[in-house]
Amino acid sequence: MESIIFFVLAFFLLSGAIMIVFCKESIYSAIGFLMVMVAMAGMFALLHHSFLFLAQILVGVGAVVVLSIMIILSINLKDENQPQQNIMPSKIALTTLMVAPIVGLLLYAVIKADFTFAPIAPNFGTIEAMGKELFTHWVLPFEIVSILLLGAMVGAIVLSHRRLDVKS
Amino acid sequence: MLSPDAFLFVAVVIFAIGLIGLMLRRSLFVVYLSIELMLSSVNLILATFSRVHGEMGGGVVSLLMIAVIAAEAAIFLALIIYIYRITKSVDSQSITQLTHKRDEA
Repeated sequence: MESIIFFVLAFFLLSGAIMIVFCKESIYSAIGFLMVMVAMAGMFALLHHSFLFLAQILVGVGAVVVLSIMIILSINLKDENQPQQNIMPSKIALTTLMVAPIVGLLLYAVIKADFTFAPIAPNFGTIEAMGKELFTHWVLPFEIVSILLLGAMVGAIVLSHRRLDVKS
Repeated sequence: MLSPDAFLFVAVVIFAIGLIGLMLRRSLFVVYLSIELMLSSVNLILATFSRVHGEMGGGVVSLLMIAVIAAEAAIFLALIIYIYRITKSVDSQSITQLTHKRDEA
């Protein structure tokens, strides 16, 4: 049963990723991104990370994907503002050739080392276990991330402020 | 029973597709979504290894990564709007403000 769910999720993950890269319209890419994020949450659930699953749905799908789709729809691109670019098979072949060594190395490492799932505690991945770990061993990274979020918020406000427009 | 190799395999393939998209396309939206794709695949690897070792550390880093992904989305989308306002395009080759301008005499 688990492997059936895994293969369905992997199918959605891969088809969403291919949709992102190879669709001409930005909005279809965003739909592919939605598929990827939801399937990724399912993967977390398969790995018994129930809190990560929740966070991925709340933040990844609820905030990031919705924000991306809203921006794509609000910019309302005309065809002449799109990059005039055809996705040629020769270019795809060239980039695949450039990526192949890295991916080959990674896949070789994955196949060479045989990992197995360790037996886990019954509360693995719950909010309780996650919170205990977060506030005993990972307090400093947590605080740094909060400062990062503050900086990102200020940066986003400054960048999207209208008066900063460069006079061209 | 599933093995960790299956999860790692999917994550590597997703990372590869993201890298290909980053190099292949010029639309800023696709570049942004490709970067998000690569970040998500790393997230999946962290969660997998957390499960492999039976410790919560990788899961916590993965949670912090989700926050980083949200911050990156906010900045990148604000940047896209900013660039669109100046150049009226989302082509990554339209950003030429820092290039050397030849004399147009």
